[in-house]
Amino acid sequence: MTNVRISRLRAFAARVRRLFATRKRDSDFDDEMQAHLQLLMDRFVAIGMSPEDAAAAARRQFGNTTLLQEDRRELRTLVSVEDIVRDLRYALRSLGRSRAFTAVAIATLGLGIGASTAIFSVIDNVLLEPFPYKDAGRMVFPRIHDTARAEEGERQGYTSNEFLEFASQNHVFDAVIGSSDDLVLYKNGEGVEQLYGADVTPGAFEFFGMPALYGRVMQPADYQPGAPPVFVMRHKTWMARFNGDPGVLNKIFVLNGAARMLIGIMPPRFGWFDADVYIPETPVPGPSTGFAGLPARWFLLGRLKPGVSKAQAAADANVIANHLAKINPQNFPAHFQVLIKTVGDTVVAQLEPTLYTVLAAVGLLLLIACGNVANLMLARATSREKEFALRAVLGAGRARLVRLLLVESLVLAISGAALGVLLAWGGLKSIVAAMPQDMIPAESVIALNAPVLAFTFVVSILTTLIFGLAPALQAARRDLNDPLRDSGKAVLGGFRTGRMRDTIVVMEVAVSLTLLIGAGLLMRSFVALREVHLGLQADHVFQTLLPLPADRYKTAAQVSGFFQPLLARVKAIPGVLDATESSALLPSGGGDSKIEISGKSHDNEWHAMLQNISEGYFRVLRIPFKAGRAFTETEIHDARKLAVVNETFVSSYLRGEDPFGRRVYLAGLETLADPVREPWFEIVGVVADVTNNGLQGAVQPQVWVPYTVIGSEVQALLVRSQQTPMALMNDVRQAVWATDPGVALAFPNALEDRISQQLYAGPRFGFLLMTIFGCLGLVLVTIGVYSVLAYATARKTHEIGIRMALGAERADVLRSVIKAGLRLVTSGVAIGLIVSLLLGRAIQAELAHDVKPYDPLTLAGTTSLLIATGALACWIPARRAARVDPMVALRYE
Amino acid sequence: MTDAKKSEVLQGTLDLMILKTLHALGPQHGFGIARRIEQVSRDVLHLNEGTVYTSLLRLLQQKWIAAEWGTSDNNRKAKFYSITARGEKQLALETENWERISGVVGRVLQLEEER
Repeated sequence: MTNVRISRLRAFAARVRRLFATRKRDSDFDDEMQAHLQLLMDRFVAIGMSPEDAAAAARRQFGNTTLLQEDRRELRTLVSVEDIVRDLRYALRSLGRSRAFTAVAIATLGLGIGASTAIFSVIDNVLLEPFPYKDAGRMVFPRIHDTARAEEGERQGYTSNEFLEFASQNHVFDAVIGSSDDLVLYKNGEGVEQLYGADVTPGAFEFFGMPALYGRVMQPADYQPGAPPVFVMRHKTWMARFNGDPGVLNKIFVLNGAARMLIGIMPPRFGWFDADVYIPETPVPGPSTGFAGLPARWFLLGRLKPGVSKAQAAADANVIANHLAKINPQNFPAHFQVLIKTVGDTVVAQLEPTLYTVLAAVGLLLLIACGNVANLMLARATSREKEFALRAVLGAGRARLVRLLLVESLVLAISGAALGVLLAWGGLKSIVAAMPQDMIPAESVIALNAPVLAFTFVVSILTTLIFGLAPALQAARRDLNDPLRDSGKAVLGGFRTGRMRDTIVVMEVAVSLTLLIGAGLLMRSFVALREVHLGLQADHVFQTLLPLPADRYKTAAQVSGFFQPLLARVKAIPGVLDATESSALLPSGGGDSKIEISGKSHDNEWHAMLQNISEGYFRVLRIPFKAGRAFTETEIHDARKLAVVNETFVSSYLRGEDPFGRRVYLAGLETLADPVREPWFEIVGVVADVTNNGLQGAVQPQVWVPYTVIGSEVQALLVRSQQTPMALMNDVRQAVWATDPGVALAFPNALEDRISQQLYAGPRFGFLLMTIFGCLGLVLVTIGVYSVLAYATARKTHEIGIRMALGAERADVLRSVIKAGLRLVTSGVAIGLIVSLLLGRAIQAELAHDVKPYDPLTLAGTTSLLIATGALACWIPARRAARVDPMVALRYE
Repeated sequence: MTDAKKSEVLQGTLDLMILKTLHALGPQHGFGIARRIEQVSRDVLHLNEGTVYTSLLRLLQQKWIAAEWGTSDNNRKAKFYSITARGEKQLALETENWERISGVVGRVLQLEEER
């Protein structure tokens, strides 16, 4: 009868509409009834009744008005408030009666919702929507990629000429801006302090589309020649250095020796280039100097025209770059290709695989949590079959039963969600604290994400509802007498739900093993990373960059004029063992240079990393010599053209030959602002390989030369001390200011901290989260296995009693229960192993080189951990079963 | 009391009677509908007139009738109910149904007598 169904639907729709209607209708109805009664009364009065009798007669003829009102309300509303209150009270009582079930269900839901919301929030804020800028999705930058190299890299900084060429000749960008590093020294009392600045080209602030929080951003007039010099500050810097004092606005600051007015403070989420201050700078054709006296390099950012793809932009950029390469071939690799990257790629590339692995992990955790809840609800449902059959027999309609369970499930789900929000909120705080700061975009604000919360909430509620409603649906489908007749002790639940619960447990075990294996592999990988042989002793080393004001330090002589007295002063500080100059900080081996070696000819280009140092470098870092010797103090002082190379250099270019006496030509030194003429350097020493290409990258050929030969370079100071390295900072700063009050320490830190914080942080973060999720998964699975077995054994008490009465030993009972449980666990483990091996490829990118996704130790360890936990979960119900007293079990009927 | 001899309105038939009334007389208010049923049933049926309104609401929810505020003969504000096209279709269906069933019931009862 489709007609009936349609009528029901219409009635339901009317009731739903009613939910949104006003109270007015009820009073309308009253009016209508009153009018009717009045008319009836008038009629009775007309035939001669007294008004009182007429009123009574009218009421009799009309019927009971209260009853009518109720009928009417019943017709009009979905559920009455009284009913809901009754159902709610019943649900609370019934949940209160089984406290263990309630606690476990709520905790499981809370964990699932909390963990997934926290992680999804991080991913959304860091990977999906990190930038608050206008059209951030269309902001891209070109990167030159040397096709001879496997990994991406080469450069993404362009000279002023190149920048201007890209800006004027492209057909794919709405707007192009440039940003360039600028170490800014600002005078503060007795000395100078250092800020990290960004020079930005005209139109930069219009490009980002963010107004200033206080004051104003740069305008075209600020770029005019002769315009008063100005700058803009980032919110974070303003808070940290000036305590958010609005009085600094429109004040004059001396930056790099020049007076500039602070015209604006940016909003908190503006963090382009991670700079402290933004300085207007118009790129002009011709060579210019930027960061630490190196040629200025502009990071070019373009906004794609609407509808232009990255591939089209890359094609256009390739044409321009090829044209540039014809003019200045020395600035480009022999074979290259321009890649177009989005701004997000710069910051999250390192963290992305970790976050996606964690995302997968948290998805699995949610799956386990939902599986557990489903299982709990099913077990509970099966044990309540009788109750519901009885209710149905006593006349409760299916809708009524569904509503009862609905309210119960909702109470569970909402309590779980409330706990979940708390956990998510707390979890997010700890995740943010544990996150490697350098890897997330400065602009991203990690906060609880409402849509994400809603999503996990809905998933959990659906699980609870679907499995919570099972008994009501069953009660409607089944012959009502069945469960009533069934004593409920002999059979293992309903057969169907029994199998379903088993399947869920097997699935849970499989998923949990996958999680554990993932966590185990990341742990192994992390340990392997910690064991990476850096080739040096990183402890007790203090390091700092020392950016020298470019106007006073142009030549090699001027630079050594600063460093020689400084090194002497630093070495005199009590507790200092040694000190050295260096042009690079680990794990970088400095800039790349094309090289030639005397007496060697070759077809392809030869490259080496180039770093300049003073004589103490290898002593400070305890890098051992394989052959030859270090530079002497005199050689450094005399700026002799000598070189020390690493083992990889020898094995790459001089395999089996004597390196000593050979001379290396370093092409990179000819293009510096203060070029080195005839850059041929004689090899005097070979040192053991030191990590110079990132922690995990293969060691590259490297050349060290005396710093006194080269004027324009980055300068850093490395100090080996007896005490905690950071304790030296004040003494070192005093030494620097004593040498030149115009020089500031930049990014001072302890080498060991830097390595552990910034280089292990990503892997540690991933490993930490995976371990937490793995453990949570294990706990949930233990609960799952336990609850299924405990439930099944409880239902079998009667059967066990009979068996024992017939002569079964306690040991037999124990064994049979454990066997049943372990069968589930081992099936799950088998599936989990297969899945993990299949998924292994996905996690490979996350792992250190020598850890394989099928690492036998990890597989064996996690599998036995899971089986042991599973056995423990079986043991408790098995013990309980074995203690069954046959007489009690049989009598309990 | 004569009431004792009156029959209660069969469940479900009130809806049919109201539809038929509206079909025959056009738009009516609740009081008018009650009067018409009273008149037609010639005191055979006992009708709690209030139930007319419950029935009207049910019919409204099915969109078989529509309601509109208007003014009654004696200038009172009253709600007028009228049958919709959908209601006409339903009426035809229900009438046919009713006739079939009452025919069958009648025949069965006659069989009893013939025995």
